[in-house]
Amino acid sequence: MPLTQEEVEEIRKILGREPTVEELAMFEAQWSEHCSYKSSRLLLKLLPTEGMHVVVGPGRDAPAVRLFKDFAIVFKIESHNHPSAVDPYDGAATGIGGIVRDILTLGAKPVALLDMLYMGEPWDPHANWLIRGIVKGISDYGNRIGVPTVAGDTWFDYAFNTQPLVNVACVGIVPLNRLVLGSIRPGDYIIIMGNATGRDGLLGSSFASKPLAEDTDKEIGAVQVGDPLTEKLLIDALQILVSRRLVKYIKDLGGGGLTTAISETCADHGLGAAIELEKLHIRQKLTPLELLVSESQERMLVVVEPVKLSEVEEILRNYDVMYSVIGRFTEDGVIKVFCNGVKVAEVPAKELARPRAVRRVSHPPAEALKGLKPLYSLPPEPSYEEALTKLLSSPNIASKRWIYEQYDHEVGVRTVVKPGLGDAAVLRLLDGSSRGFAIKGDANPRYTSIDPFNGAANSVAECFRNLVAVGAKPIAIVDELNAGNPEKPEHFWYFEMMLKGLAWMAEELRLPVVGGKVSFYNEDHRGRQVKPTTTIVGVGRVKDVSRAVTMDLKESDSVIAVVGVTYPELGGSEYLYKVFGLEEGEIPRPRPASELRNAKLILKAVELGLVNAVHDISVGGFAVALAEMAILGNLGVEVDLDLVHARGVMRLDELLFSETQARYVVEVKSNRVEEFKRLAQRMGVRISLAGRVLDKPVLILLKGSKTILSADLGLLRDSYNSLEKAIEGGA
Amino acid sequence: MSTHLVEVIITSKAGVRDPEGETIHKHLILKKGYSAITSVRTGKYLLMTVNTNSAEEALKIVKEACEKLRIYNPIVHDIEVRLRA
Repeated sequence: MPLTQEEVEEIRKILGREPTVEELAMFEAQWSEHCSYKSSRLLLKLLPTEGMHVVVGPGRDAPAVRLFKDFAIVFKIESHNHPSAVDPYDGAATGIGGIVRDILTLGAKPVALLDMLYMGEPWDPHANWLIRGIVKGISDYGNRIGVPTVAGDTWFDYAFNTQPLVNVACVGIVPLNRLVLGSIRPGDYIIIMGNATGRDGLLGSSFASKPLAEDTDKEIGAVQVGDPLTEKLLIDALQILVSRRLVKYIKDLGGGGLTTAISETCADHGLGAAIELEKLHIRQKLTPLELLVSESQERMLVVVEPVKLSEVEEILRNYDVMYSVIGRFTEDGVIKVFCNGVKVAEVPAKELARPRAVRRVSHPPAEALKGLKPLYSLPPEPSYEEALTKLLSSPNIASKRWIYEQYDHEVGVRTVVKPGLGDAAVLRLLDGSSRGFAIKGDANPRYTSIDPFNGAANSVAECFRNLVAVGAKPIAIVDELNAGNPEKPEHFWYFEMMLKGLAWMAEELRLPVVGGKVSFYNEDHRGRQVKPTTTIVGVGRVKDVSRAVTMDLKESDSVIAVVGVTYPELGGSEYLYKVFGLEEGEIPRPRPASELRNAKLILKAVELGLVNAVHDISVGGFAVALAEMAILGNLGVEVDLDLVHARGVMRLDELLFSETQARYVVEVKSNRVEEFKRLAQRMGVRISLAGRVLDKPVLILLKGSKTILSADLGLLRDSYNSLEKAIEGGA
Repeated sequence: MSTHLVEVIITSKAGVRDPEGETIHKHLILKKGYSAITSVRTGKYLLMTVNTNSAEEALKIVKEACEKLRIYNPIVHDIEVRLRA
């Protein structure tokens, strides 16, 4: 997105003269939405960012939270939506590369990746091609750098047929005393390490800060190819540099390239810098302007004090990592850029790094009313078995095996709860103790497109529940807000409401939002925004990974308990869409007080060893959650719906498929039922002991003495495992 | 009807990086002293056996299949479709 006339005017004012072409390019890169957050910065201040566990909050490339008294977890989320729409394979792959480098900046060792993918319908040929490319790109890059992809979230929706959302997250661990938090002094050296700078990705951030052009062919400069081999060298070399305490500060060269990395580093430390561009190692001959804004991948900036320079250089040479010492920090707060002795730019760092924030016009579209519409005259109820089969085979619910089986999810031998078996992934620290952590990413594009405030709040709640369900105590989240064009008031309103919903729920659940990302301009070439989507990634503490709980049923004759109360909340549900083709109605209410109360019960029950399996109720509702547990455990269940606590439910489909929040299905050990009951009573949590696990493969739903559904588990499993067919046989 | 052998060569466009080629060049070829080789580009090679009436038709069908089935990404890749000599 080129600079506006007002922005150019402002630059003249900052400099007190006409800017050079190099300076204009630097401002264009840094003041792009992608780098500067100019449309979102004011509203982002609403987010709760502080908490007892927070070591590094928002502002750095990645945040850090204290997981245990001696260990920190560094995690961050990133979007690569625009590159992935043009070149799905490389777009997704370079997204992984970027997020891994963010984690490296605090000195952490990357140990897990997550992918949150909101893509088109598998049966649309173009969307199908995007899906395959995206998944393969993530798989190849992640596998080659030796970091397992352990969890994620997937949604398939016509709204993403041409513009998918590719959100990726990385988790790193680091002993607290190794976090790289040094302060920079004037005279310290600026080293750029990693790939040589080339013309690739020229002004990529500007590309990401505008809608997709109809003729994406011309965007060739923005296409980037991932280089996992160099990334792996960066990871290894940085581990050594950090462990020997040789670097003071690390920053990724991402969007905005060299310009952004230097201006933000200077601005954050109140420093300036003198840069000699000709020293930068390059792949091809480039002009000073190109050197300043190229977004070549796999490059990092490290700051080294003069006495340690030779030791650092030796290590980089040994690791065969290309590097160049391009300049030093100065006291004056001004970035001076020279090329072969000629000054090409002289810009105050603070003004460059932080353009004036804009308060965008925000206005709800008429379409937003569909989220306020009560549902009272639904079509007659279908056959429950048919509805359940439809839901289980819906790509949004079906097993994501086709995706995660392409990933190495075990490399590093940390993964305890693997993809597909638990509501969240559980990893061990691997420090000789049994300590570990859980991690999960969540979003529901349908909710946020119908009701952005409550939808975003529900994303936070679902992530919270997923962590709790495996027995982890949630401690912090990061967010990715994927929205439309901020210059359009009716798009911006969705962003604003999502942000406010997120801020509210995070505060209520006492989950600090320690970092995040905003992606705007997610619209197609006709200017239609994709479904605005709030993606949440959360981490939880696991004191003993051997106690982590999966969702598969384990023992016949154990008892099925439903935790929480069911309300008639079919609005925005997968059931309503799959069975009746409707995407409207009041979506399920966020229920923070119930979430906290019910989570406490689950965590206590896990700690006491009362339960065999836990599964949170989300997309598809109670019936789907129950079926998933039975399918994965290969054990049948029988549940009497009359025993399930519900309020105001008029029809059985409301009980079966409502996506009411703050609920779990729990398999209670047959000899611990009384204890579980007493615990729930003491904690004031509504539970329903509604059924039991059978030793034959059948799912039976009763209403009193009447059987309303009796389905063979094998058939349900076939539906649940149908995603591969939808994708492979789709195009 | 006759049988035609059609070759498809897919490479990254000139401006697009090729880390695999660069790695082969830098870490293998140059390391072993073949300094006369100044660059390496990798790609994908497909050989298709096609039954058609004419060679032109064979080329046309292969081109169409590559495009429609997204065997390459026209935004990133160059494609060469030719008869095997």
